[in-house]
Amino acid sequence: MPRTYAFPLALGALLALAGLLVVVALRPASAPSREEVARQIAGDLRCPDCQGLSVADSNSGSAVEIRRQIEEQLTAGRSPDEVRQSFVDRYGEWILLSPTAPLAWLLPALVLLAAVGALTVWIWRARRTRERAGGSAGPPVTEQDRARVREEAEALDA
Amino acid sequence: MNVRALRWLLVPLVVVPLVLLLLHGFGRDPQAIPSRLIGKPMPEFRLVTLDGRTVTSAELRGKPVLLNFWASWCIPACVDEHAVMLEAARSYGSAVQIVGVLYQDTPDGARTFGARYGEPSWPTLLDPDGRLALDFGVTGPPESYFVDARGIVRYKQFGPLTAAVVSDQLGRLLGAAGGRGS
Repeated sequence: MPRTYAFPLALGALLALAGLLVVVALRPASAPSREEVARQIAGDLRCPDCQGLSVADSNSGSAVEIRRQIEEQLTAGRSPDEVRQSFVDRYGEWILLSPTAPLAWLLPALVLLAAVGALTVWIWRARRTRERAGGSAGPPVTEQDRARVREEAEALDA
Repeated sequence: MNVRALRWLLVPLVVVPLVLLLLHGFGRDPQAIPSRLIGKPMPEFRLVTLDGRTVTSAELRGKPVLLNFWASWCIPACVDEHAVMLEAARSYGSAVQIVGVLYQDTPDGARTFGARYGEPSWPTLLDPDGRLALDFGVTGPPESYFVDARGIVRYKQFGPLTAAVVSDQLGRLLGAAGGRGS
């Protein structure tokens, strides 16, 4: 692919991705039913007597009882956050499958940002070095080279 | 040239913290979580024992309590600590109250366990829904809680009780109770 198209294409793809994220974020959400809310809370909680499973994914004694208590608390009119907190009060943050500390969420984004920055600088410097060296990389292509490439391509096709 | 050599410093700079982090993580039991109950009143309950009596949290006040979550299928940890608890029951007598809570197990399982490894002299509470275990934040047996005479949780033992832990914790609770003159 000619180099001239690479940048517009990459930019286009990036913009499309950003657009998708905006659409997903702004999509009007229908009010979830109580069952959905209960399932979501169960999915956020770690099953205490399992290995790496959520309460929603397990049928262990604890998971069944936690699901019953979620249902009970929601019926009593408590908010999803209050329900979650009632389990955090007993087990600590450990019971939550996704961390609440902002750093845990920001760190991957910061690392990605730093990596993109480093890559940009690296590409920019490589480009400048090449431009200074005369704009083209390597010796010019001769008619001999072309003939050899053709020969080898034909040999491959045969 | 200096800058190029310095680049190699990046390797240990990345590798060393990662290895330390992993060493720390793998050396830890992920189920061994610090209890939120330490320094707080023990959760209230009203449960039936293996022999049909009713026990409430309120009636346990006044003496230090050793509350032990166990199961007959928890082998060998629960078997090992059973011997420790039998010995503790003998030596502390009525100065402390030992209470077992059956964790995700059947009464028959508990009776068979008692017949095989020694009948406990303390009550075994049935917690069929695991509600009390949930209130204590139990992640799996054996787990034990040391509660003082006023009903405040003072210590959580994750894993089997040892003679040293029992004498340390009960000694502290009995000392504190005596110090207050109660």
